[in-house]
Amino acid sequence: MAIEVRIPTILRTYTGGEKSVGGGGDTLAALIDDLEANHPGIKDRLIEARDGRVDLRRFVNVYVNDEDVRFTGGLGTELSDGDQVVVLPAVAGG
Amino acid sequence: MRFDSLLDSVGGTPLVGLPRLSPSPDVRLWAKLEDHNPTGSIKDRAALRMIEVAEKDGTLRPGCTILEPTSGNTGISLAMAAKLRGYRLVCVMPENTSEERRQLLRMWGAEIVSSPAAGGSNEAVRVAKQIAGEHPDWVMLYQYGNPANALAHYEGTAPEIHADLPEVTHFVAGLGTTGTLMGAGRWFREHAPHVRIVAAEPRYGELVYGLRNLDEGFVPELYDETLIDTRFSVGPRDAVRRVRELIESEGIFAGISTGAILHAALGQAAKAVRAGERADIVFVVADGGWKYLSTGAYEGTIDEAEEKLEGQLWA
Repeated sequence: MAIEVRIPTILRTYTGGEKSVGGGGDTLAALIDDLEANHPGIKDRLIEARDGRVDLRRFVNVYVNDEDVRFTGGLGTELSDGDQVVVLPAVAGG
Repeated sequence: MRFDSLLDSVGGTPLVGLPRLSPSPDVRLWAKLEDHNPTGSIKDRAALRMIEVAEKDGTLRPGCTILEPTSGNTGISLAMAAKLRGYRLVCVMPENTSEERRQLLRMWGAEIVSSPAAGGSNEAVRVAKQIAGEHPDWVMLYQYGNPANALAHYEGTAPEIHADLPEVTHFVAGLGTTGTLMGAGRWFREHAPHVRIVAAEPRYGELVYGLRNLDEGFVPELYDETLIDTRFSVGPRDAVRRVRELIESEGIFAGISTGAILHAALGQAAKAVRAGERADIVFVVADGGWKYLSTGAYEGTIDEAEEKLEGQLWA
C-alpha cells in the first residue's frame, strides 16, 4: 500500500533530507511503525506516552488528506491507498 | 444604523447568502461579513473586548503602553482602539507580513518591532514575551491566551449568527489565535449543540515551520479541542483558488485566509450533498482583500500566485 508522507524540515534528519517518503499501513499507528522501520528514530519524535497511553506529541500535528487526525480517531485513524499524510509542527497563527 | 462612536459600531455584521456557490436549495452557504467592522477585520471584536476588560479590571490605566505580538489584523484593530482611548501601542510583527499591514499600523500610530521571518508568529510571540519582561509596566493583552478574545465571539459573533439564521448547521472559521472558534464554539455547544464547528487552518510555506526543535512548538493557551468537531489544513493554492471563486461567483472581495475558510466550508457542503442532508453553512469572511493586493494573490495564474505566497504569512 502506498501512502505519501510529507515530512517537516525539522524531522528530515531521519529521512536523509527527503521532503516526502512513502509508507504503508491500515491505520496511522501502523504507518508510523512502518516509517520507523525505514527511518529509525522518527517514531519517538512523533508520539509519546502520556497519562498511561500513547498519543501524538503535543506539538506535532498530523493531517490525512488535510484533515487533522485528532478529530478522526487519532493514531487509530484509518488509511487507504493514495492517502496523503502531512506532518507539521504546531506553530502560532493569528 | 446610528452609533455614538466608531467603537460602538463594532460587530453586528451582515450575514449574506451565496446563491451561486451553494450547491442546492437544501445545502446553502452563508458569509458573515466581518470586513464590515471599523478597521475592516474580525479582529476589531477581540481587540475592543480585550481593552474593555483590561480597563474594567484595572490592568489598563490612562497613558499605558500596550504591547502585542500580531501578524497584522489584531494590531490594526488595537491601534485604532488605542488611539481613541489614549494608549500607546507597540506591535511585534513577523517581517514576512504584507507592506499594507505595516503602513496601516503606522497610520493609526502604532510602533512596530519586527521579529524574524523564520518561525512566523511563534517568533513574534517569543520576542513580545521577552520585551514584556524588560518593560514590566507595559501591558501585553496577549490575544493567544486572553479569554476576552473568545468572549467577543461568545457574546457577539455566534449569537448574531443564530439570531439571523436559527437553522444554522455548521460554523466555519479560521484557526489562528483560536479566539473566534473557541468563543463561537462554546456558545453553540451551550445553545445549539447540533451545530458543527469547523476549523480552517492556513498551511504556510516551510520557512514558517522552521523550528529549531519540536519543543518550540506552540498551541494557543485559549485552544480547547473539545469545542471544535473537525480541523482542516488549507494550503495557499486552495486558498487562492477559492478566494478568486468568491469574487467571480458572488462578488465578494475577501482576504486570502477567507479563501481557506471557504475551502473548508465547501468541503462540508459537498459532504452534506453526498449524505443527502440539509445544511446551512455559515463561514467567516475575516477581512477584505485590500491588505493583500501586494502579495500577488489576485493576479496571474494560480501557479504564479502560489509561488509568490511561499514564505509569506498570508493569513
